[in-house]
Amino acid sequence: MLGTGRNGPGRLGGRTRAYARFLRDAFVVNLKATLEYRVNFIMQFFGMMLNNAAFAAFWLVLIGRTGAVGGYGFSDVMLIWALVSTSFGLAHVVFGNVRQLGRIIMEGGLDVYLLQPKDAWINVLASRTVVSAWGDLAYGFIVLALMNGTNLERLALFTALAVPGALIFAATFAAAESLTFFMGNSSAVSSALTEFMLSFSLYPEGIYGHGMRWILYSIVPSGFVAFMPLRVFRSLDWGLVPLLYLVAAAYVGLSYWLFRAGLRRYESGNRMDARV
Amino acid sequence: MRERAAYPGNFIGSMFTYALFVFIFSRVWAGAYAGASEIAGYTMRMAVWYFIVAEVPSFGFGRFFWTLSRDMKNGQIAYLLARPYDYVGYNFAEKYGGSLVEAGVILVEGLLVGTLLVGPPPLAGGASSLAGGAGVAEEASRALLVGLSLLLAGALNYFLQASIAMTAFWLEENEAFFWIFQKLTLVVGTLIPIEFLPTAAATLARLTPFPYLSYAPARIMVAYSPGEAWSLVAAQALWLVLAAALARIVFSFGSRRLSVNGG
Amino acid sequence: MPAIIARDLSKTFKTKVRPSGRLAALRSLVKPEYRDVRAVKGVSFEIDDGELVAFLGPNGAGKSTTIKMLMGILRPTGGSATVLGLDPAEDRVELSRYVGAVFGQKSQLWFHLPPSDSFRLLGSIYEIDDDDRRWREAELIERFGLAPYWDVPVRKLSLGERIRCELAASLLPSPVALFLDEPTIGLDVVAKREIRQLLAEAARVDDTTIFMTSHDMGDIEKVCKRAIIIHHGEVVVDESMKALKRRSLSRKYVGVRYASPVDLELPGLSPVKRTPTAASFEVDTSRHSLAEVVRALASRGDLEDITVEDEPLENVIAAIYETRSGAEAQALGLNASKGAGAARAGEAASA
Repeated sequence: MLGTGRNGPGRLGGRTRAYARFLRDAFVVNLKATLEYRVNFIMQFFGMMLNNAAFAAFWLVLIGRTGAVGGYGFSDVMLIWALVSTSFGLAHVVFGNVRQLGRIIMEGGLDVYLLQPKDAWINVLASRTVVSAWGDLAYGFIVLALMNGTNLERLALFTALAVPGALIFAATFAAAESLTFFMGNSSAVSSALTEFMLSFSLYPEGIYGHGMRWILYSIVPSGFVAFMPLRVFRSLDWGLVPLLYLVAAAYVGLSYWLFRAGLRRYESGNRMDARV
Repeated sequence: MRERAAYPGNFIGSMFTYALFVFIFSRVWAGAYAGASEIAGYTMRMAVWYFIVAEVPSFGFGRFFWTLSRDMKNGQIAYLLARPYDYVGYNFAEKYGGSLVEAGVILVEGLLVGTLLVGPPPLAGGASSLAGGAGVAEEASRALLVGLSLLLAGALNYFLQASIAMTAFWLEENEAFFWIFQKLTLVVGTLIPIEFLPTAAATLARLTPFPYLSYAPARIMVAYSPGEAWSLVAAQALWLVLAAALARIVFSFGSRRLSVNGG
Repeated sequence: MPAIIARDLSKTFKTKVRPSGRLAALRSLVKPEYRDVRAVKGVSFEIDDGELVAFLGPNGAGKSTTIKMLMGILRPTGGSATVLGLDPAEDRVELSRYVGAVFGQKSQLWFHLPPSDSFRLLGSIYEIDDDDRRWREAELIERFGLAPYWDVPVRKLSLGERIRCELAASLLPSPVALFLDEPTIGLDVVAKREIRQLLAEAARVDDTTIFMTSHDMGDIEKVCKRAIIIHHGEVVVDESMKALKRRSLSRKYVGVRYASPVDLELPGLSPVKRTPTAASFEVDTSRHSLAEVVRALASRGDLEDITVEDEPLENVIAAIYETRSGAEAQALGLNASKGAGAARAGEAASA
């Protein structure tokens, strides 16, 4: 009955290759979709640059007056903006649906992905790209170039640091959205999380007290996305980079586990709106 | 006013964001004042309370452009132009009036959150004001002037944003102009007091309307002196008159173009 | 082995009991009460390879729930489902390689890009070799006539064109079975006809098993060969389309037209509509012999035209949908067959 001549993904190697191919093709298709919205993209890029420039001016003036704030000088602040921007951008370029997951679940749109032979979590997250995110991604590199010139080692380190940052961003947002499985509309939690991440991460670590630090290295992982990468970058400490990747893997694992738990609930159908 | 109540969800988001900003900036200023107790004439408490008041116009009076643009884009303007009353004035009354509730709520929220985080606002007479009677009178005049200044800041915001929104008579995509306006407002007086800017920049800034959108009420609040307060308010009133005139001019040119070209 | 087997499938949901009154509302916050809703109460059927089955039922009958269990999106609370030898809930990912789905409202296609890009990505999702995929694409483009808009963004296509692409996309991985939910909803007459032809062709050419729900009589009559009707959570009808159509509720519609005015009163039967020269009758074949009615009408005058029609399938199905319980619906079926049987016996006797 089965086995109609299609190469089944029996071995792990085959399956990894299949997912790599899928992610590559999803990325290409996402890129094409972005190009369809060139004008939109330019406008958003311009808006983002304006916003970032305004805050850069603020920091320039303030630090000019006070010297370092919270242990950060002007270039430190610029660098965490760069790191956060590129990580955030990368997360939304590759996994553009991370903040739509809740809405997709509520609208019943998850079913299409469940019925395809790819893991539903990766499938739904990778099926979209956020046009403006390409601008965020580029911004970080622009700032890096402005501050560090063409130092290749720093460029490589910056890129290496953006990847776990992006994974942590994606995993955290996806986890918040997965709460929809358990509590219905989780958009309040998701918006709050987004706001927290995009504000706390952009200010010097030193301004936060000890209580906050706990939060910033757990549920609102600004510490792992901005502060720690900045320290690594400043000291060119490549040795700490694998640690960040491990942390990212942990966040991804937890997020995936939460999604699967929610999916089990979804499959048993005992939601209040389980209408026939 | 009734229209405002129709978007409660969105406003709750604004209130949340405002509180978050105030919290973060209270920490930023604490960090900035780690090495000094006074910078550019401001203590830390003054700087935080400055921010609390300076952000009120952004959160309470910051979205006129979008509602006006929406009206213009969906063709409502053609409908309203046919009505026999003053379009600019009517819209001002409706939208500005409606925003007063939100601005008021934000102000109250700011007072509460600020007191929780850094203690009550600095006294009107400064640290030296201890005499009961004089103190109360000063507090009262300060409160009144802050209120007046905020109202003027809101109205000024309205007419400036309306002028930008009305460029839609000529341009389809005019959001960029508003973004520039918004960011300039942010940098010139909202995030940081004018006194912090380098002298040349500060002088230049005072020639623009931006300080009168945020700096004026915040300054009156944290560094009250009747003379300065009244001159700030007077400057606001002057800019308001200019902005209202600008709005009318833009409108008359624009509506003429509309009736000639049919939109 | 049959392609799709449902054996006593059941699904019971727990829903919160809505509290009435303030005290009850408070109590429900702390300790919410649940009650059981039996959406599907033991559904059984077997579907063979290559069959074209219409799965019908009114809203709330348990239709969507049953399909979701067959597709593995929902876990049954009782009984079992077996599709292509696999348990859909346990082996959903594996099964999805061989089973396709077309939802009326949801899409597998990327909205802002042309079908060519969606097909490429689907090829990657289903792990189809690029060469195989291109070959299969060419075949589908030819069969479905997709060439004119192969490079046009999907958002610019008409609904009919979009559904055609959707259907073609679902056939890209050459599925063994295809589940369809309201495939022709919102389409115009021509588009509906095209989709039905394409579906029938898919079943014929690719030997795809088709399991379709629809509220459109045309879809059901023209594509499917077998109907399973579910109501009140149970299967109330499971038979071939031919047999279903014969459940004519023992009614025939006879229309006549004459050259000149004629007296059209028949003993015990009056026309439903009439003009001096034409009339239509509703004949209850359990009370009147159809043959006698026709003979009587023919002999009344100079007959120009006569039509004899079955009860529309719509009415048959509507009558089943209107029943209040599973038992009532099944009884309706039995009575109808009895009535039809009697009528046929009557005709045979008088012939």
